Amino acid sequence: MQIRDYVLRRLMILPLLVVGTSIIVFALTRIGGSPIGIYLSHEMTPAEVTELEERFHLDDPLPVQYFYWVSGVLRGDLGWSGVAAAPVTQVFPDKLGATMELAVAAGIVAVVLGIGLGTFAGARRNRLPDHLARVFSISGASMPVFWFAIVLLIVFWVYLGWFPTGRSDPNVFGRIAHPTGIYTLDAILAADFRAFLDALWHLTLPAITLGYGTTALIARMMRSSLVEELGEDYVDAARAKGLPERLVLRRHARRNALIPTVTVIGLSFGFLLQGTVVVEIIYRWPGLGRWMADAVLRGDQATIMAYVLFTSVLFLAVNLVVDVTYAYLDRRVVLGT
Amino acid sequence: MVDVVVPPVRISVGSRLAVRLRRFGEVAREVLRNPATVVGLFVIVAMIGMALLAPVLTEANTPDPYQMPRDWGALNEPPGTPGFPLGTTSHGGDVLYGVIWGSRTSLRLSLIVVGATVTIGLIIGSLAGFLGGKVDEILMRVVDVFLSIPELIFALAIAAVLGPSFRNIILALAVVFWVKYARLIRGQIIHVKGNDYVDAARVIGDSRFSIYRRDVLPNSITPIIVQATLDMGHIVLVGATLSFIGLSEAGLAEWGVLVSDGQAGISAGRWWASTFPGAMVFLWALAFNLVGDGLRDVLDPRTEKR
Amino acid sequence: MTPSAKPSPSPERKPLLVASVEDLAVHFQTKSGIVHAVDGVSFQIRDEETLGLVGETGCGKSVTARSFLRLIATPPGIFAGGRILFWSREARDHGNKPIDLLTLPLARLREIRGNRIAMIFQDPGKSLNPAMPIREQVAEVFYQHRSAELLAGLNGKVPATIRRHARQQTTVAERLLMRVPPLRSYGRKLRTRVDDMVGDALAETQIPNPRKIMASYPHELSGGMKQRVMIAQALACNPDLLIADEPTTALDVTVQARILELIRDLQQRRRTSVLYISHDLSLVKRICDRVAVMYAGRIAEVGTSGSVFEEHLHPYTRGLLAAIPARAHTRGELAAIEGTVPELVEPPPSCRFHTRCRYAVELCSREDPPLRGHAGTSHPVACFGYESANEWHAGPDGMPDLEAPTR
Repeated sequence: MQIRDYVLRRLMILPLLVVGTSIIVFALTRIGGSPIGIYLSHEMTPAEVTELEERFHLDDPLPVQYFYWVSGVLRGDLGWSGVAAAPVTQVFPDKLGATMELAVAAGIVAVVLGIGLGTFAGARRNRLPDHLARVFSISGASMPVFWFAIVLLIVFWVYLGWFPTGRSDPNVFGRIAHPTGIYTLDAILAADFRAFLDALWHLTLPAITLGYGTTALIARMMRSSLVEELGEDYVDAARAKGLPERLVLRRHARRNALIPTVTVIGLSFGFLLQGTVVVEIIYRWPGLGRWMADAVLRGDQATIMAYVLFTSVLFLAVNLVVDVTYAYLDRRVVLGT
Repeated sequence: MVDVVVPPVRISVGSRLAVRLRRFGEVAREVLRNPATVVGLFVIVAMIGMALLAPVLTEANTPDPYQMPRDWGALNEPPGTPGFPLGTTSHGGDVLYGVIWGSRTSLRLSLIVVGATVTIGLIIGSLAGFLGGKVDEILMRVVDVFLSIPELIFALAIAAVLGPSFRNIILALAVVFWVKYARLIRGQIIHVKGNDYVDAARVIGDSRFSIYRRDVLPNSITPIIVQATLDMGHIVLVGATLSFIGLSEAGLAEWGVLVSDGQAGISAGRWWASTFPGAMVFLWALAFNLVGDGLRDVLDPRTEKR
Repeated sequence: MTPSAKPSPSPERKPLLVASVEDLAVHFQTKSGIVHAVDGVSFQIRDEETLGLVGETGCGKSVTARSFLRLIATPPGIFAGGRILFWSREARDHGNKPIDLLTLPLARLREIRGNRIAMIFQDPGKSLNPAMPIREQVAEVFYQHRSAELLAGLNGKVPATIRRHARQQTTVAERLLMRVPPLRSYGRKLRTRVDDMVGDALAETQIPNPRKIMASYPHELSGGMKQRVMIAQALACNPDLLIADEPTTALDVTVQARILELIRDLQQRRRTSVLYISHDLSLVKRICDRVAVMYAGRIAEVGTSGSVFEEHLHPYTRGLLAAIPARAHTRGELAAIEGTVPELVEPPPSCRFHTRCRYAVELCSREDPPLRGHAGTSHPVACFGYESANEWHAGPDGMPDLEAPTR
């Protein structure tokens, strides 16, 4: 049926886009100076450098170089990170865990608060709560994350001392094992309540900072789709059946309004990813973002390229899933009506 | 009851302009009806005024006014110290100076980038729309690829690879942000191409270009204006973020750089060097967002029923 | 304004009323001012009758219909005056005291919605929730109003949660709890009972294979089928009054006839009164016992179907009927009514139709003609043309012509 065609089409384009992205990344590595910069490390001898040059066929035309670079990537060779003094692929998993924890926490906050706020505002259209929600939404879209983080730090860390920086208290952190790389989960698995609290305590400020903009975005989308649904005939028909307003809202309007809101989640994910760079710098969070920021400042090309590649593929994948979910949920879309 | 037949009327160029002007006046009035938009407009005017009058309002003590002044005798002064209403940085730079010249830097940045991206986007989008076929396919795939990389990260990578400088930030942003405009104009062309009107016009002998000029461009102007207004704010936001991360020149009188420089003093309680410049970024983006939203409500409304 | 007089009833047999609209006024706040969409409308709906409310688009008939159940968004709507009295069957058995639907507290109004007064809308495609299976939507009516019957079918002591579920009053926690075994079997039994009732309701509207339809989504059904579902839903609780807002306008002509028949049939069997809104005169003539003609927010005339269509007292009705191409007319001429519907923003007191009326006199532009019976008319009409001195004669086109001085 139509959903299947749609999914197939998207799936077929996906590899194309990934290849396209890799070409851009490859182009960037070539622009950035020495072509094998990403593989070099300080300890290499001139002989090893020459060997590298040969391995990656630097004398051959660009497309050939591209091919060898890609095969390197697929083999897991993403180069050497000057910042971390280790191969990229080795350092990646640890940092990934930290960033994912932050992003997911922020995402949960954003989705729950955003949907709640949006529903609240949409049901009270053009009254005070709605206007306040609008102000919140616009401020969220205009908020420089780095500034918001600093302001929060100044208030809650410097002056009030309620929250810490960093990801954890090293003593508490060191006490438990870290199978998943996600502090909160590890704490649960180790049944260590204190570690769990420690994790949450450190997670609070960064997650709020990161989630602010996304909350505003989701709230705005939710509000406008709720208002749209409330104007539809079936809502009046539901009222005509004698249903109390809360049921009309919950079972009819809100449920249907959630569907278009799903589309914003894909976008939000992109924002969350981007935000982690800045948030991790300011809160000294040991994740991918901070690693990337250091890499940028110290010319660590391997990290930069790996990061771009990773985030793009992730972004593409998430968007694909979201679009397919949306097509599945909204039968109206499927029928093209 | 007889049907009145209206003979076709040739509208002369002069009166068409008059119609356009009148419509512009109506739109302007409608836009100004929204208080939020008016506030945004005020802030924008204030900021642009500040930017343009910067040389008059402040005094630099370095040869390049775009560099922050250095006063080794007044390091880390808090706000309220005589001569430094907003305090000084760790290099003795007047925060107020940074705030004012920062608006000039931001204005330069946003104007150049938005100008460049609109132009590039228009060209590429028009090519794709007009030539259609393979060219269109290829160009749109390129657009899709560009859109698969999150904006900030893309700009970050480009600026990093090119080397830290203000000029490279402009370049990086231009490379990343043209896509929306390309899509907009291509969409408009495709839409017009589908109109029967076009076939009729071709029969009369109108060239493709005049159709473009008469139908595609005017209809695309409104979404482009809305997008450009929003981008004026957004570009400064992303630009400041890039500067904050460190991709700009040290000591530049730019809001992002100032926030970054002021970071070190936070744990010691020196909040002013980061807070004021950062607030300006927020205000700038907020103002343009308010106006952009207001414009969008008027020019491209989604009718809200009952 | 004087209330409409009942057309010559024999004094001992005052007809039983289901509803009486008295001087209803509904206004809307707009950017250009306050629109008087409905401005002093009065008519009555009798027991077991089908009353048609006819008029062109924008005359206020939909607003009037929605006012019964107060389905008007306020803002921008304003209920500016009048009453809508309603006699339920229950009330009639106990002293015949009516209630005023416009001032009824919302909680009580909700008890009436879908229960004593039901409404079906014009486009069934839009009036059904596209993301909900038919079964669930129709079931809502049963849960809302007939929960006692649902619970009666369950044996043993029914847990409080289940009882609340039947009334749709559960919390999230309770709903989660219902997945757990002891409650789950009760829940399932309840659901079976509901399904039976829904199936029966659907079958009554001659839907083939109700079980299959129940599991479908609205977009999988045809227009006629969807409207049957709406009708089934509306009649589920045996309402005393059914309000049908142009139920067949969005349907194909062939389907229209069948739906009309269905409505007529059900109405007769259930002895429901029907308020039928339409702009289609021929349709109304076929199925309505009495007709009220509406123009620009006011009633032009109201009477039995036969007398309105045969005598078409009001000039507007006359124009409407003349506009219907009939075999009697010579080919090539379409008689449209000159002019357009007036702007209803803060209208001055005058007959709303006077700018388009062939027979208008000076008085018509100064005052609102009241809706009332006149000497020599078979039913109430709002037109100064029927005041004393004026006389109507047969005109050149076979239609009565007013002989009083014209413009």
